[in-house]
Amino acid sequence: MYLFNVGKLSGQQSMLIFPALATMGVEALIIVSPKVPLASIGYFQDAEREIDLSFCREHGIPFMRREVGGGATYLDENQIFYQLIWRRSNPRLPIQMRQIFEQLSIPACETYRKFGIEASFREENDIVTRGGKKIAGEGGGDIGDCMVFVGGILLDFDYETMAKILKVPDEKFRDKLYKSMEENLTTMKRELGKVPPREEVVRTLIREYEKLLGRLQPAEMDNRLVERMRTLEKRFTSDQFLYKKTPRKPKGVKIKGGLEIRYGIHKAKGGVIRTVEEVERKSINKIGISGDFQFYPKEDLASLELELRRTEFEEEKVCNKIQQFYEAHRIQAPGVMPEDFTTAILQSQRDPSE
Amino acid sequence: MEIDGYQFPDDLYYDKEHYWCRVEGDAVVMGTTDFAQKMAGEIVYVQFPLVGKSVTQGKPCGALESGKWVGRIYAVVSGKVVEVNEELEDNPELVNQGPYDRGWMIKVEPSNLEEDLKSLMQGDDLVQFVKSEIIRVAAEK
Repeated sequence: MYLFNVGKLSGQQSMLIFPALATMGVEALIIVSPKVPLASIGYFQDAEREIDLSFCREHGIPFMRREVGGGATYLDENQIFYQLIWRRSNPRLPIQMRQIFEQLSIPACETYRKFGIEASFREENDIVTRGGKKIAGEGGGDIGDCMVFVGGILLDFDYETMAKILKVPDEKFRDKLYKSMEENLTTMKRELGKVPPREEVVRTLIREYEKLLGRLQPAEMDNRLVERMRTLEKRFTSDQFLYKKTPRKPKGVKIKGGLEIRYGIHKAKGGVIRTVEEVERKSINKIGISGDFQFYPKEDLASLELELRRTEFEEEKVCNKIQQFYEAHRIQAPGVMPEDFTTAILQSQRDPSE
Repeated sequence: MEIDGYQFPDDLYYDKEHYWCRVEGDAVVMGTTDFAQKMAGEIVYVQFPLVGKSVTQGKPCGALESGKWVGRIYAVVSGKVVEVNEELEDNPELVNQGPYDRGWMIKVEPSNLEEDLKSLMQGDDLVQFVKSEIIRVAAEK
């Protein structure tokens, strides 16, 4: 198996090398970082629903659809990507998805450990720290006769720009998104108090992959590969591919496995109710409620938000909790019934105009 | 029939990519197997070929995503697509809930059915293949 330790590649090139090698049937490990930032969406995502395209345009951030799964993300030079390609017929590597993620995450976990960060693979296909914070996202897919597994070591992460590149219903949602990312996503810099030298991390990562794959043969990007990347670039940057529509509307933004930020809006007789909730494993972690309805006593709206924490994200459970709250606090909310709040919370979607 | 806890209806034909087909009059309906959907976990997206497009046995004709993995949908027989299960576009989890009924994927008008069926598995061949796959997956752990 080859090793393409290519350093930093400009723009989309960093994400074109793996599909190029996969379509050429070349088994390889690629270690790469993007020289300039870009936004990336998963294969099945709808760019116009996921990405704030005008923000990206204004700030010169290109976006691309990758040929592997997962959600929208922001990539820059502070992330070191590992991209592994192998033929489906290779008996030394797994073909079953769960095993692929679990086994091929070991080198990244070990790399973090070597730098003093206790990290392990978690079932939702993330790498998390002992404290449960996500420290690497991973994805994969079948390309041609090959299988491809990709992930990224986070030296540092630009939370602010990440929150800005995503399409969100309003600024409250964006604020919640930013805070939730800060709480649930970590980096080497945050864990260690400094960014370790890139080359040291790369060397460790390669060494750990070699323990799993055997000795890797260093290779350079040759003309054939560059030509294949150019060909793919035409397809990947075509409007037809970039703006491909998908029928499924995104319900929220996934922060890490099992944790999402959702947005709800409902027009009740007494006014519009807006909610932003952090939902973890089908239970409400935190919720913010706003709108132009009347609610007395006013200060009890904040108490309702607290009351809804740790409520299962199910209609009956949410509605019962609100009904009990109405009774216990003698809530007066003309034209806004517990069912209205329940509808706003449960029928969440990213883009309320749809 | 049931093979080590996985359902494989007897009247279907199966390929080695873990897809099945059922002959329904002049048409053939395809989908993925109970074994494959359990291995994949929750299916979150599906993408089908356009109606009218030709598909070739053993070749990819669509895609699906589960657990951040984008996999291929393989055509079990060759032919022209006459219908796709649009319900799956909004509710892909139906593949997990009922891979042989509401989770069906593509209906084709076959172009070479008699020959295509000869290369598919049923009965003992299927049992042998599925058991070898179960062993292979277990060995990966």
